[in-house]
Amino acid sequence: MTKILDEPRYACALGAAQTVQAIYRAVPIFHSGPGCAGRVSGNSGTGYLSTNTFPCSNIGEAEVVFGGEGKLREVIANSLKVIDGDLFVVLSGCTTEIVGDDIVQVVGEFEDASKPILHVNTPGFKGTNYEGHEWVVDALIKQYLSTLPKGEKIKGLVNIWGPVPSHDPYWIGDFRELENLVREIGLTPNIIFGEHRGIENLNNVPLAEFNLLVSPWVGLQNVQLLEEKFGTPFLHYPTLPSGAHESSEFLRAVAQFAGLPPEPVEQIIARHEEEYYYHIERNVSVFFENRTASKMFSTVSTAHRALSVAKFLVNDFGLMPNKQYITENVPEKHKARIAQYFKEFNYNIQAEAVFETDGYKIHEQIKQEYYAGPPLIAGSIFEKKITKELDGNFICISSPFSQKVVLHSSYVGYHGGLKFLEDLYTGVYQTYN
Amino acid sequence: MAKEIKKIAIYGKGGIGKSTTTSNISAALVEAGYKVLQFGCDPKSDSTNTLRGGKYIPTVLDLLRQNPNVDAHDAIFQGFQGVYCVEAGGPAPGVGCAGRGIITAVELLKQQHIFEELDLDFVIFDVLGDVVCGGFAVPVREGIAEHVFTVSSSDFMSVYASNNLMKGIKKYSNQGGALFGGIIANSINSDYQKSIIDDFVDKTGTKVIEYVPRSITVTQAELSGRTTIEAAPNTPQADIYRSLARKIAAHTESRVPTPLEIDALREWSANWADQLLAIETNEVRGERAGI
Repeated sequence: MTKILDEPRYACALGAAQTVQAIYRAVPIFHSGPGCAGRVSGNSGTGYLSTNTFPCSNIGEAEVVFGGEGKLREVIANSLKVIDGDLFVVLSGCTTEIVGDDIVQVVGEFEDASKPILHVNTPGFKGTNYEGHEWVVDALIKQYLSTLPKGEKIKGLVNIWGPVPSHDPYWIGDFRELENLVREIGLTPNIIFGEHRGIENLNNVPLAEFNLLVSPWVGLQNVQLLEEKFGTPFLHYPTLPSGAHESSEFLRAVAQFAGLPPEPVEQIIARHEEEYYYHIERNVSVFFENRTASKMFSTVSTAHRALSVAKFLVNDFGLMPNKQYITENVPEKHKARIAQYFKEFNYNIQAEAVFETDGYKIHEQIKQEYYAGPPLIAGSIFEKKITKELDGNFICISSPFSQKVVLHSSYVGYHGGLKFLEDLYTGVYQTYN
Repeated sequence: MAKEIKKIAIYGKGGIGKSTTTSNISAALVEAGYKVLQFGCDPKSDSTNTLRGGKYIPTVLDLLRQNPNVDAHDAIFQGFQGVYCVEAGGPAPGVGCAGRGIITAVELLKQQHIFEELDLDFVIFDVLGDVVCGGFAVPVREGIAEHVFTVSSSDFMSVYASNNLMKGIKKYSNQGGALFGGIIANSINSDYQKSIIDDFVDKTGTKVIEYVPRSITVTQAELSGRTTIEAAPNTPQADIYRSLARKIAAHTESRVPTPLEIDALREWSANWADQLLAIETNEVRGERAGI
């Protein structure tokens, strides 16, 4: 049933163009109206290809009436001529799906093209950009990786999945930090998204020893598909690790899954924790003697980010959780499992996960909650105003983000936890000093 | 002051005789001295064929396909006694959106004020069967037509299509949409067929405008690429079409219909199935009795 959605925090499935763009030298081709293409390309920055040069069939009324397959054919053919890409992915919008354009058939005509061309049906009415991200990765597996010649598995090679490119402002730094953590314990990380990784890393995906999914739900169907297609086992680790406690837990879990001996891993952990707690200790006066500091918090974010921040704040930093608001319209089948993740903090501390996409409804609930002092709200820019009304502390962790510029920083890992505290207490200082 | 143009839409299930009936109404109206434009809103684009000696004409969408800036005059052709003929046309079967095509074609003529310019008395839209999507409801909404008629036989699927159309009309009725004029009962050759249609209009708060019997004259005329009015002007069938056209010309008040909900419609048809069975059984008994 139609309803008004206040302050949505996700885009439509066509937003999966950002996932394509995040693969170096991969080119999204929109089969949609120019408005849709412009809208979903707007915030993903530039890269190998500027979003302004993304090919689009720019369908208009004539294509709606007569079908837009001819125009798509033309755009694909011309894109191949003028864009030096390694991989092209056709993404369909609502209108072309409603009028029934057969993109599978049109893309099929380019089977013999010099570069691989894939197709993904991404009408906005079918799902969110998070689901669109999964569909793009599924398409990469089914339509591209499955066609490559079979190769031998590479010992120690680990594909890392989880962060959703561009829509999550910290995605690129998060991937880098996950890579660093995995590399430190002696494994070889393989990520397809981000700077200069591209098709070479993509080609290595079937050769990995295992897939590591660091996300509560986005990407689960992809690693399951990889297991089905290439027999690659996967470790589903729901928490994006932030801070010492969670990073150490993460390293132990990955090492155990990879069958690595625990001793060297424990040495690495000890070294990191020593450094981490040195910084915590020397700044303890900042954290605990500040009378404006919060005791209780709520996150308002994706399940991915909310779980990461909540685990850090409870298990590492010692705050108490209030309700945790999950905003990305999580598919029904994942909800119970995600709710359970929020009941598994240390010391039997539990939080209630509230799946809510409507900003107004979230804010009305936040107003009713008891925070034992100034609340800490970790959310998107939409939460800034409500936090101010409640005289609380605010940290921006989620889209829409227009609060600060993130070039490559991350809250993941040991240093990521410290970075989170820097940002959090910078906010506290700026509010009260 | 410009004269009032009477805008009429005629719907009906595919193959029920909708275009035949519409073309005969148009022919009868021009014969009576009115200026008439018949607008075929069916991707098959054969609505006006019998007004033009069985010949197809380029459709609005054919022209739009070649040139986005179409002069609507290029899509207007004259036929029997000067009747104006337009075909909306449509995409190739299986591609694009025929519904949007109809919207586009109707809007084009509206934007270019063709109806006013031609000083018409009647515009008659001949629209494809069921109101399957918004495009086929265009003549019903936005004040494009004022009165809607449906051509229906006594067959259940045809009645079903009429009921669907009524639903569409009811939906748009409070937004300035067209209202329902009545049913043109087609292929009515027996009492029970008449009873079925009479019962249906009774249940839906509408009326029958005319009973049109099935006639070989119509088929002969069609095969010669003409309307009955043109090919067999002095037949009883032509007179029935003339009578229908007169009634439509005189028709002023349409209503909001009360279509049956799907369960009620099924129950209604099941009841009629029982009655027909009884009629059939009686006939058999009667024949036996006569032996």
